Amino acid sequence: MTITALIDKQDNFEVIRDQIVTILVTEIASQQSLATAAAKDPDEWKLRIFAERSNPWEQYLNDSASDPSPIVNVWYDNSNFDQSGSNISERQKTDGIFNIDCYGYGVSEDDGGTGHKPGDREAAYEVQKALRLVRNILMSAEYTYLGLRGLVWQRWPQSITVFQPQIDGRQVQQIVGARIAFRVLFNEFSPQVVAETLEYLSVDVKRAEDGEIVLEADYDYTAP
Amino acid sequence: MGLREIAESDLGAILEDSAYGFGYPITVTDPAGTVKPFTGYSNDISQIIDPDTGQAVSGRLASAAIRISSLTAAGLTLPQGIADTSKKPWIIEFDDINGNAYKFKVSQSNPDRALGLVVCLLEFYK
Repeated sequence: MTITALIDKQDNFEVIRDQIVTILVTEIASQQSLATAAAKDPDEWKLRIFAERSNPWEQYLNDSASDPSPIVNVWYDNSNFDQSGSNISERQKTDGIFNIDCYGYGVSEDDGGTGHKPGDREAAYEVQKALRLVRNILMSAEYTYLGLRGLVWQRWPQSITVFQPQIDGRQVQQIVGARIAFRVLFNEFSPQVVAETLEYLSVDVKRAEDGEIVLEADYDYTAP
Repeated sequence: MGLREIAESDLGAILEDSAYGFGYPITVTDPAGTVKPFTGYSNDISQIIDPDTGQAVSGRLASAAIRISSLTAAGLTLPQGIADTSKKPWIIEFDDINGNAYKFKVSQSNPDRALGLVVCLLEFYK
């Protein structure tokens, strides 16, 4: 016996990863519009969102004139399945981790006065800004279920870890990375056997006043 | 002349020979704004950085090596990284081999006082 239906769908961990990306892209654009309306610099709210990328920095590390906005890379890390909350045939309750890596980029520059702005500090501020925006967006009341109610049980920022990617502090560009381990509880579903109808059967269950149970069955069949 | 003096003298021939060696023009600006030209070694190369996120990112490393006696002869002290944001950093400028100009600040200074050489580790500055 084989599965008769083509498995032509996304699993829900893929749906949720894409939904996280969609939420971030949509809300960052919205935040930039709100900043413009508030007469603030919308670039301060700009993040560049990627999914499942291995080296999103490459574009501008060798091109200092390109967009230096913080980069966010959303990628699926792992899942654990909770048997006690699942059933053996169709649904697996899943505890998934989606890593949301943020990278801040800073270049030392003259402050226009008697001092300077150090690039390492600017990079840390940039990545912290990205962390702030991402966490606030994903944990806002509007996205309690990430817009996937019925599929998502719960979302939670499990941890935030900041990395200082340095080779003895020697690199030309100052980069600080940070990871939000974003935990999502959700359901995964698996293909089911499509039952074949053999015969329709209708049964009425009646209980008499003395407590006796009486069944009355209707069989729809063609007499031979 | 001892071997160390000979080595320091050779350093000038090795480091500051822009005609037949790897010497290349370098401009140094101290925090007071004094600008002096030198000839020395300059490097600007790509390197992969591991940010510990499991995903490598591209990076660049730049450095400049200058003869200490040339710096002092020009009236400058040893360059050093300046952490104090209320002060100007040491600035080093040089072109790449294709003539593109780059400006860096000194983030770390590694002087070799035995040989008379200072290697400055650099980061972009604008």
